[in-house]
Amino acid sequence: MVEFTLDGRNATARDGELLVHAAARNGVFIPTLCHDDKLDPYGGCRICIVGVEGASRPLPACATAVREGMAVSTNSNVPQLRKTLAEMLLSEHLNANPAGRPNELAEMARDLGAEAPFILPDAKREPYEDRNRLMGYEPDTCILCNRCVRYTQEVMQCSALSLEGRGPEARIVPTWGRSWLDTECELCGGCLSTCPTGAIYEKFMEGSGIEERTLEQTKTTCTFCGVGCQIDLNVDSETKRIVKVTSKPEYVSNEGDLCVKGRFAFNFVHHQDRLTEPLVRGEDGGLHPTSWEHALEVAADGLKGVMERHSPQAVGVLASARLTNEENYLIQKLARTGLRTNSVHSCEAT
Amino acid sequence: MDVLRLVSVLETLPTDRTRLLDNLGRLRREVGPIGPELSDTLADHMSIRRGEVHEVVSFYSFLQVPVDAVRVCTGPICDCAGSRELLLEGCVEVPCLGHCDLAPVVLDGDDVRGGVTYSTNDGPSIGLATRDDTLGDYERRGGLSLLRDLPPLERIIEELKTSGLAGYGGAGFPTGLKWEAVARETGRPYVIVNADEGEPGTIKDRYVMELRPHLLLEGTLIAARSLGATEVYVYLREEYAGSRARLAAAIAEFGTAGLLNGLSVELVIGAGAYICGEETAMLESMEGRRGMPRLRPPYPAQVGYLGRPTLIQNVETLAHVPAILRNGGAQWRELGRELGDGVRLWSVSGAVRRPGCYEAPNGITARALVEEHAGGFTGEPGAFVPGGAASGILPPAALDVPLTRDALTDWGAGVGSAALQIFPRSYSPLRLLAETVRFFAEESCQKCTPCRIGNRALHHVFEELQHDRTPMPRHQIEEWLDAMHLTSICGLGQAAPYPVRNAFRHWPELFESLDRPHTPAE
Repeated sequence: MVEFTLDGRNATARDGELLVHAAARNGVFIPTLCHDDKLDPYGGCRICIVGVEGASRPLPACATAVREGMAVSTNSNVPQLRKTLAEMLLSEHLNANPAGRPNELAEMARDLGAEAPFILPDAKREPYEDRNRLMGYEPDTCILCNRCVRYTQEVMQCSALSLEGRGPEARIVPTWGRSWLDTECELCGGCLSTCPTGAIYEKFMEGSGIEERTLEQTKTTCTFCGVGCQIDLNVDSETKRIVKVTSKPEYVSNEGDLCVKGRFAFNFVHHQDRLTEPLVRGEDGGLHPTSWEHALEVAADGLKGVMERHSPQAVGVLASARLTNEENYLIQKLARTGLRTNSVHSCEAT
Repeated sequence: MDVLRLVSVLETLPTDRTRLLDNLGRLRREVGPIGPELSDTLADHMSIRRGEVHEVVSFYSFLQVPVDAVRVCTGPICDCAGSRELLLEGCVEVPCLGHCDLAPVVLDGDDVRGGVTYSTNDGPSIGLATRDDTLGDYERRGGLSLLRDLPPLERIIEELKTSGLAGYGGAGFPTGLKWEAVARETGRPYVIVNADEGEPGTIKDRYVMELRPHLLLEGTLIAARSLGATEVYVYLREEYAGSRARLAAAIAEFGTAGLLNGLSVELVIGAGAYICGEETAMLESMEGRRGMPRLRPPYPAQVGYLGRPTLIQNVETLAHVPAILRNGGAQWRELGRELGDGVRLWSVSGAVRRPGCYEAPNGITARALVEEHAGGFTGEPGAFVPGGAASGILPPAALDVPLTRDALTDWGAGVGSAALQIFPRSYSPLRLLAETVRFFAEESCQKCTPCRIGNRALHHVFEELQHDRTPMPRHQIEEWLDAMHLTSICGLGQAAPYPVRNAFRHWPELFESLDRPHTPAE
């Protein structure tokens, strides 16, 4: 535990704790843009700068550990510097809302009363078109905070995005400007989730006019595999349809990270072909709704018939990749003791 | 692309990440410009993510350019000498090629068009007038005696402190304190020679490397030996082919003479990025990443190359070390004039009769430098730059100010890398300012907001001002300058406001329209 002062008041921090966290626990919110707790401190956007007694310049709270006796101030010249930095970012921020994702820069600028004095003549960046149907990218919304790039390098270790070039032409772009599908990208959408301005977004949200912040969230467990990632289904309150899936860093087992299925493959929920009740094929060759009891009975009779006619080894069981460990255990138990067959497999294993 | 050539070269390339820049340079020279395919191929060979190699390749100016490309310098001195008219189709524009005494400068591949000549003087510390062609030449002048009979580290540090020697790369950190800081750390340190001379107007390190490479190596080896380093790296800018050849030959001579004795000295060749002269950006570059400065603390003396304590010292600074140790720090200090300590190499270029590199006391005035060494002014001098791009822009009235940190502080300027650039009256200070800020904008590594956007915005403002438009009121420009100076990560952004504020102060008439009601430009 270390003691320090924050705007003249006594405060405490854990050993090695970053100023941005210690300040928050002591009731002082320090805004950030390039910071993400999952990533190594970067200190690039400079929005989180604070005054530290004895330091010749303000220091970034996202990258500075609290030291014993440190005297930290978030007033004096800090608000003006922060406002100026926001003005700078706004002067090349051409499209603040490509697809309804939250824009932390725009919100912060509103709070600070910052406006761009002009738009830089070279603010317009080369558009990025991609043939994938899940993730879109609007370079003009990007503030080069490098979070997405660092996420791909530090968390996903796929490095599908690059901070390309130097000087005014610099931009963030998938490797060599290729389609995401031609990079190491697995379309997990993690870069999208860490983008503070919504420059990377769900392509299917483009033009929908729906703001992420207005959606109702329902926390649930992803059904795609046994990992049990915690997700938020974002539901449009009018249509009662799921429009996107998000997750939060505090969620256990996945810490806010998702895979392509968990984040993007939710449209089966409302799909017209989705089975919502048991069906049994009738003598007419068509499928007919029935009860679970009857459906299981028909299945059991069918299996027994095969076992009697051809021996139990004629039966094989293929378990779904969507089952949990425990469910897979029960499936093999059923196969070996109930059906007396060794032919049991999970499609996850292939 | 010659695939067979690529395969044979690739087999010889080491896979350690620290070799990335070197490998890219070799591929460029031996196979061709680094495009996406070469980049990916090397990434796979070295087991580095393709995206990370793409980031590195695109960071440098030259990796995607053929080795025989024509490079035209558009630094302020060359711009003033009309170099933009030489910028033909297909030429690569480079902000400063470090041959300002020959302005306007064009490189055909590795070769300086018209050949390299030197204009210099003899001096008590480095003495550039007589060129050492071989190690024998150097030894006959009394060289190597210190390396062969190394004084104890404590005495070396004491003499360096007494001498007042402070880093001549531009930042001016006291050399003795730096060596002491590295000596205080545990673990084997690295020694890196910063030969990435790129500050517009600065040619002095090239003069040292091309005329007295053995002197530089003796100074470097004194540092390495006394601090216990076994690996020395010289980070040299790619544009200095002459220096590269001379250093490589001199290193080989030292090896043959048994003077390295377990120590390795390697050249690391840059690829065109001014910011890599910033010491932490240099470390990133050497470790195979984009040359973007690190957050400090920790300082390189504590956590430097590959996480170990590292002494990073400018070429000229190390070249003064033998003279200081030979005659004592006190005597070297006395070589200064007025309040200046010791001597240094001044790069003098622009509207003078004999542009070149001259050894002269600290504390000399710009006028004395030009009149005593550079043959006098050609015509009436206008604005001048005392150090490098970020050192400031001063009016003729300041020609008689002693060039020391303290004296120039009163003028809002600094000595920087001692690159004195004299501009004729015909060259508008506003144009000089716009060109200077454009340089900062183009060389910004893009890591921090104030440098990345501030410089671009200021460049826009000064371009517009040349057309009588004022896109931003003065009070807001001042706020932006404050933010750049106070919140930028490294010296590039922190120092960029100096020339701007100088120009505001010394040529107020050029900026009067900034006070009129603000008329936003389209």
